[in-house]
Amino acid sequence: MNVPRETKRPESAGKREPLTSDLAARIARAQAGGRVQNEGTQRGAAKDFTGMSRALRLGSEFIAAIVVGAGAGFLLDQWLGTGPWLMLVLLLIGFAAGVLNVTRSAAAMNRASPPPPGSDLGPGDDEDDEDR
Amino acid sequence: MAEPNTVDPIHQFAVTDIVSLGDGAASFTNASLFMVLTVAAIVLYLLFSTSSRSIVPNRLQVVSEMLYEFVANMVRDAAGNEGMKFFPFVFSLFMFVLVANLFGMFPFFFTVTSHIIVTFALAMLVFLVVIIYGFWRNGPKFLRLFVPAGVPAYVLPIVVPIEVVSFLSRPISLSVRLFANILAGHITLKVFAGFVVTLGSLGFLGWLGALLPLTMTVALTALEFLVAALQAYVFAVLTSMYINDAIHPAH
Repeated sequence: MNVPRETKRPESAGKREPLTSDLAARIARAQAGGRVQNEGTQRGAAKDFTGMSRALRLGSEFIAAIVVGAGAGFLLDQWLGTGPWLMLVLLLIGFAAGVLNVTRSAAAMNRASPPPPGSDLGPGDDEDDEDR
Repeated sequence: MAEPNTVDPIHQFAVTDIVSLGDGAASFTNASLFMVLTVAAIVLYLLFSTSSRSIVPNRLQVVSEMLYEFVANMVRDAAGNEGMKFFPFVFSLFMFVLVANLFGMFPFFFTVTSHIIVTFALAMLVFLVVIIYGFWRNGPKFLRLFVPAGVPAYVLPIVVPIEVVSFLSRPISLSVRLFANILAGHITLKVFAGFVVTLGSLGFLGWLGALLPLTMTVALTALEFLVAALQAYVFAVLTSMYINDAIHPAH
């Protein structure tokens, strides 16, 4: 998070420019770089967690869909009196929805943090990169 | 609570009445107290820190402005400029979850967000806002949310129910994630802190052994602060993504 302080001013050291022009340049630089810097710090903070927060996010997405599917099926069955059938069907649909949720959030996570350039991604993955 | 020497990690989540209005009636509990304290802390802090409105902000005002810009960028990135009309909503949710989580880090404080009914209420609020605004803005076209573009008509009978269940599961996953993170974190913290106490009562070797869980407790405390902030962030990001769905239902 700490931007390394510039101890030596580039170029201007010899020419003795007025302080204000240096300030203007610094403001311009900060405005240009502020956005990128913010994203960088967020990603740095998010990196510490990847393990637990990703697991909890994916797990909760997956289980929530199954629970909702089975619960909705159970309630519909009670209401319509159609034995266990709607619950079974909706349980499977919930399972599919859970997989859908997981692939979606995993794709979102991949988009949010692309691998740093030049990192070793293993042998070619031409076959299975549809979810990117 | 059993014996005084054993640690009960669940005890911290007990809801007790402070002002009771009779059996089964609504009563003012410690949970209500900490929700009121959370809201009061947010309101007082924001009002106080922005009261001077100086162009060169002092430290408190800088923090408020950073929070504002952080959430504003988040909403703008996820839902576009049109989503900014929901900024107050997302900002309130973010601040409430963040401050409630951080309040939970004080010893002897009650953690509001470790109760699923609280997080579920927040998630249902988001869910209902998305549904009501989606229908109000798009009319029946909001249902296109459940019909992914480019899917041939003969698979729609399978895809649409899956999409519907996936949509309905959102409030559950949103609330369970927040509640589970906070609950698990607080229980872990308490269990490790309990090891320190139990080992410490075993004499010198126990004191030496207690150093390990003590280190762990310190590390977990730091982790819990990160989790508290991260979960508030995740909650707000997902809220703005869902609001984006309400504004642009076709995806």
